[in-house]
Amino acid sequence: MTETDGLIAGVLLLFALFLYTFWPENSFASQKQKTRLDYLLERKEQLYENLRDLNFEYRAGKYPEEDFVSQRGLLEHETAELLAEIDHLQQV
Amino acid sequence: MATFGSFCLLIALVLAAYNLFAGAVALRLIATAEPGTGKRLLGKQRYWFILAGLLGLFTAWIGTHVLERIRARISPERLADTARRAGIAGFVAITGAAFALIWSVFTNDFSITYILEHSNRALPIPYKFAALWSGQEGSLLLWAWLLGTYGFVLRLTHKTDVKLYAYAGTILSGIQVFFLAVLVFAAPPFALLPGYVAGGAIPADGNGLNPLLQYPEMVIHPPMLYLGYVGFSVPFAFALGALMMRYPGEKWIKITRVWTMVTWLFLTCGIFLGMHWAYAVLGWGGYWGWDPVENASFMPWLTGTAFLHSVMMQERKGMMKSWNVWLIFSTFLLTMLGTLLTRAGLVSSVHAFAQSSIGTWFVVFMGIVLTVCIFTYILQRGHLKTEHHMESLVSRESSFLFNNLVLLTACFVILWGTLFPIISEYVQGTKVTVGAPFYNRVAVPIGLFLVFLTGVGPLLPWRATSFKAIKRNFVLPVIALWATVIVCLAVGVRPWKDGSLDSGSFYAVVAFAVAAAVLTAIIAEFLRGAGVISRQTNRNLFAATWLLTRRNTRRYGGYIVHIGVVVVVIGLAGSAFNRSIESEMGLHSTMQIGPYTLEQVGATQDSNPNYDSDYAMLNVYKESRRAKTLEFEGFQSYVIPIFRIVPLQMTPEKRVYLASQQPQTMVAIHSLPEWDLYVVYEGMNPDTDQPIIKAILNPLVGWIWFGLVVIVFGTFVALVPSLSPATASLRVPAAKAAPMTPALKGGD
Repeated sequence: MTETDGLIAGVLLLFALFLYTFWPENSFASQKQKTRLDYLLERKEQLYENLRDLNFEYRAGKYPEEDFVSQRGLLEHETAELLAEIDHLQQV
Repeated sequence: MATFGSFCLLIALVLAAYNLFAGAVALRLIATAEPGTGKRLLGKQRYWFILAGLLGLFTAWIGTHVLERIRARISPERLADTARRAGIAGFVAITGAAFALIWSVFTNDFSITYILEHSNRALPIPYKFAALWSGQEGSLLLWAWLLGTYGFVLRLTHKTDVKLYAYAGTILSGIQVFFLAVLVFAAPPFALLPGYVAGGAIPADGNGLNPLLQYPEMVIHPPMLYLGYVGFSVPFAFALGALMMRYPGEKWIKITRVWTMVTWLFLTCGIFLGMHWAYAVLGWGGYWGWDPVENASFMPWLTGTAFLHSVMMQERKGMMKSWNVWLIFSTFLLTMLGTLLTRAGLVSSVHAFAQSSIGTWFVVFMGIVLTVCIFTYILQRGHLKTEHHMESLVSRESSFLFNNLVLLTACFVILWGTLFPIISEYVQGTKVTVGAPFYNRVAVPIGLFLVFLTGVGPLLPWRATSFKAIKRNFVLPVIALWATVIVCLAVGVRPWKDGSLDSGSFYAVVAFAVAAAVLTAIIAEFLRGAGVISRQTNRNLFAATWLLTRRNTRRYGGYIVHIGVVVVVIGLAGSAFNRSIESEMGLHSTMQIGPYTLEQVGATQDSNPNYDSDYAMLNVYKESRRAKTLEFEGFQSYVIPIFRIVPLQMTPEKRVYLASQQPQTMVAIHSLPEWDLYVVYEGMNPDTDQPIIKAILNPLVGWIWFGLVVIVFGTFVALVPSLSPATASLRVPAAKAAPMTPALKGGD
């Protein structure tokens, strides 16, 4: 490839990439602001997973009964509060 | 092709700069236009412009007016989309440049200085590809191309979370601008020979590729390592972007988890391939020499590993947010340091394939990155408040914290040792080099403690536990630990010699014992979980283990990775029992090492267009019978490999490459699970005209490479999505649960 060929190829590429970048396109994805409700719904999934893990670890023998009961109580309380806030936000 | 390649680089630089500028402007416009955030952000906007002024991009006054004008003419979201498209277009342009360089190598275009210095006509085809990263300019182009590729994938998948991806893409473009600027202004890969004019005479042949790089691993080791280095830019960009936009929640961690794990895997493979290259090419019998460049690749691996562990705490409990952000910031900066050490030759290293003055560029860029990180952290630190605190010192959380502290301690020690020659030269005026004994003295105990934690972590439940539970879970591993110590002593391993401690043997015994304990702990963990599944589903233990792993691939894949690490540690511990012998060998003379006898049956020479070689032929006997080995014959039906058993003959070799006139050792290795027989052709004695042969018996080295296979397998398992669990809905009356106070922080 000669110097001129390289220059022509480069200019063609520049033109194609310029067109691609600035082509009038109205169907671009919009940037949605994440709400607190979105966040709480994500958090809910995580808390469910934490509860599942706790139950599983108990059944696998990692927790004595008394530890399990207290830990489950804490997690369930946290989950209940979160679900209540989700309910509240969904009603608003 | 040189013109086309240079043009592509220029286009890529312009596109990356546009991506950075338009992306940043669009994001600020969107942020300031959001209801309820405008007032707060407009206040903070001044800080952003102070930073921009520091970087030489804007002044606060110009910035404000530019924003006003752009807001009036174009929708910010449209602007952001053009920025994203510019990123994609930039990838095409960099690919064009990389293609131009590869094309120039294959067409032997010696009018380009880089091709002249790193290739020659007789160079085998795979090494022609290796020429791309054998020199500084080419490897920087590879860096930019890989970053472009990662960015391309990121921008194509932006609909996962458009705003977060827009932040990450803009930050990546900032990194890309730096690398492309270096390529265009400081280290151009398409620079022509001095005084060359189009159509003029060019040299008939090139100087050839560095002989050290003419080895199969070298075709894949650097790209793997670079994939690892470059890949950490992505979680870094997400973390910084999430912090800049005060991203609510921890979803960004879930989004980047695959990126981080794949990157970590590439870096791990790159490090191990480098170890194997050092083992098979450098001819000293070892695989890790604490060379500054080896250290440079190991440091981001340590912080990256710490990050992979500690983000789990953030995901589960919203803890350690600042810690995690700084871990990934540090990891990215360490990858930059790694590239700087490899490419700028700040400290002397076997990897000093290319040295130049681009160090200043890197130092300035690292300074800018650090400034941006500190600035963003100070500005947004309120967003990183922890949601929970550690409930107990005896919990999975605390084991992760210890694991992080140990990994960071190891990283700091290695960083200190690596930079000590520079620091000592600056302070005292004399360069003091830190050698392997320093690292071994410090890093070996740290490493063993880390392996110990690898076993302890899975035994501890999340949140908190009691002494009773610990006792029950630790019984088996402790039994395995002491049983291994007793077996080691019984088979004759003595951690002491002449009344004093033999540190090598001592650490080997500790390593074997800890490895046994950790393996037991992990297997017990699998069995405990499988037992639960088995009781629930009436499956046999094997099927239950399979289901258990599929239900939580992340956790059990992680445990498989830990098994791989333990296997590697067993392999490393074998080095305490290395044996070696060196002697001149005449025809039919023999050499004894361990159970092997080596007989010299010929010393000869060979030539091909690329190199001349001297080599010795050594028949190998084990306990007076000819040792056997498997020889690869070919493939049956193009798929099934066929091997045959043949008598073992080893042919260590010494080559002199014709183009560069540089010598290179080619080691002969006979690898078995229990040890490697490693034979080096040291050279020819000019007085007697007889070859000098060195033989080393390296116990358990094969375990290191097998451990890598297990690590790769475990990482793949962890990357597979888990089976989705069925959930039962739980309804709690809103009135009873005090809904007026937020349950958790993080939604701001």
